Amino acid sequence: SCFLGSLSLALSESDSWGVFSEQRESIPQYRGMAHARISAKLPPDIDPTKAAIAFGERALPKLNEELQSPELLTRQRALMALCDLVHDPENVYQAIQLGFLDNLKYLLLDHDSTVREKTTEVLYIMASHNVGRDGFIKYGVIPALSQLLNDPVDICRRNMHRAFEIMAELPRGAVGIVDSSLISSLVLKLKTELDEIQELILDTLSGCLCIEAFEALATGAVSILKEKLTHPSVAIRSKAARVLLGISVPLEGKNIVWDEEVIPVLVSLLEDSDPEVRANAAGALMNATITTQGKYAALSADAIPPLLKLVDDETSKVRLNAIKALTMLSEAPEGRKTLLNHVDLFRGQLNDSSEAVSRAAKIAIKVIEWKP
Amino acid sequence: MLPARNQEAMAAAASGTYSYCSRPRALPARRRYREEEPVRYANLMYDRRVVRGNTYALHALPWVGSPDPLEIQRQREAHRKALARKRAKEQHQSRTPEPVEGRKHVDVQTELYLEELGDRIIEVDVECQTDAFLDRPPTPLFIPAKTGRDVATQIEEGELFDFDIEVKPMLEVLIGKIIEQALLEVMEEEELANLRAHQYAYEELRNAELAEVQRLEEQERRHREEKERRKNQQSQLLQKQKETSEKIAARAFAQRYLADLIPSVFSSLRDSGYFYDPVERGLYYFSFFFTGSIVQCSLYIYF
Repeated sequence: SCFLGSLSLALSESDSWGVFSEQRESIPQYRGMAHARISAKLPPDIDPTKAAIAFGERALPKLNEELQSPELLTRQRALMALCDLVHDPENVYQAIQLGFLDNLKYLLLDHDSTVREKTTEVLYIMASHNVGRDGFIKYGVIPALSQLLNDPVDICRRNMHRAFEIMAELPRGAVGIVDSSLISSLVLKLKTELDEIQELILDTLSGCLCIEAFEALATGAVSILKEKLTHPSVAIRSKAARVLLGISVPLEGKNIVWDEEVIPVLVSLLEDSDPEVRANAAGALMNATITTQGKYAALSADAIPPLLKLVDDETSKVRLNAIKALTMLSEAPEGRKTLLNHVDLFRGQLNDSSEAVSRAAKIAIKVIEWKP
Repeated sequence: MLPARNQEAMAAAASGTYSYCSRPRALPARRRYREEEPVRYANLMYDRRVVRGNTYALHALPWVGSPDPLEIQRQREAHRKALARKRAKEQHQSRTPEPVEGRKHVDVQTELYLEELGDRIIEVDVECQTDAFLDRPPTPLFIPAKTGRDVATQIEEGELFDFDIEVKPMLEVLIGKIIEQALLEVMEEEELANLRAHQYAYEELRNAELAEVQRLEEQERRHREEKERRKNQQSQLLQKQKETSEKIAARAFAQRYLADLIPSVFSSLRDSGYFYDPVERGLYYFSFFFTGSIVQCSLYIYF
């Protein structure tokens, strides 16, 4: 009787040694002889859904071969094991060197939905590492991912959009997304997708708009965003306002925003309960009122009182954007007239904790008190 | 045969070879299986008296005519000793002890039924036959005979190793790997969260600065346009002024120029003789009419 049976701790079930020795003796040819295997029963497989990972250096090359196997189960198990390994940046680096991305691109078009889900998850985790992002750009994974835009399975699309969102946070990644002409399809998807995925798309768009906004404007993004501004979900409202902020940076954007009469809606959002929504709405107003027509539209929508209220808000971003928007409005004579009465409010912000806010307040005072 | 005789003969001939001598007597044949057959004769082949086998090397029977009296005495003594030994042995054999005072041994039947004890051995015939056409049974496993010595060992608790100490490195590796993986994932998320936070802060500032830049641009543009417009306005004004002054000057000049016009025109006309008394002219021409200078007159009229 040996203790070795009870040594395999977490990996074995609570088998008494009696079973092991019984097994040993029930194999007659082994009776009285030593042999390598302790028991005829193999140790229980903790997770049969994962492929066995080889030791050390061989782990990833073996998984690479398994990914190309024609058998479905092997591919699925290899992908599940890969999902765990890819959290480590070193593994990501090694995987990219071994050429995993080509195999994964091929697997994106697999028939089985589990394979596609897991592949998109692996790509999403890889994108959250810098090496992964570089690899994506080098191997052109973004166009391959975009083939899944119309995938019937929700999880695949969600993972894909998550990957896009992370890529869009990086300037080079955003360039990659813009170059693959994805913006128009993304904008159109805003109308039809689930809420969760819409949030991801909005984040992706706000990242890409820093690079180029014309494509989005051409697809009529502003009207879609105007609808989203009145969405019941807080996150979608704030993200839509953020995208509007980005879209109204170029001149065409400002004109279209004025054209579609988004400014009154933004003014109404200034009184929203969520600080993010208020901040983004004030920012969008700030950008949209740079043009004269925008200024007059805002003045006619009565933007000044809510903005004045926001100058004292708790969040620094709200204060900053509100002061800036008021600065824009005070360049118009009517605005200046109204704001001359409230200059003290701005003086109060001169010693604000955030340096940007105090600078903005100084500029605002200068503009308000400017005499032609 | 009587073992006593045998021993006697053996004791006598101590050379080691077998010798046997006894007085001849008729031996009754031993009854083995048959009860009723009185055997009066013995088969020569089975007679023990007949010497068999090699006769060349047999010792001659040491039968002497008259046995040695010493020999006879010795034989008798040996015989007596044997008997005594036998008696002693019989005495030492345990027999049923003597009955206690006042009791008597009685034979008792223990079984219910009397059983005849006879020489006849009870025979029962038993037969056995395998079924026709049975499957060949499986070959019994060949279990080789055990060779060697059986040795057993028993490991007591705590003899091989101390579990707690030995399991530590394995546990460390297991838990270490799990925690490492978990840490990696947490670090990943934290990294992403940090990245996003940085980006938001930067974006905030960037948007503000961008708006400021655009505002200033816009302001610049407006001012420039305003300036342009005013300049244009001013230049137009100047132009108009210039035009107006030119017009005035021209008007004044024209007036002055033309003020002199009428008297000079009239005087030149008078000088040219256009203002004439028609009667006088008529009379004058009438006088010329006949002289035929109509052509000259028409020329003058044309002028």
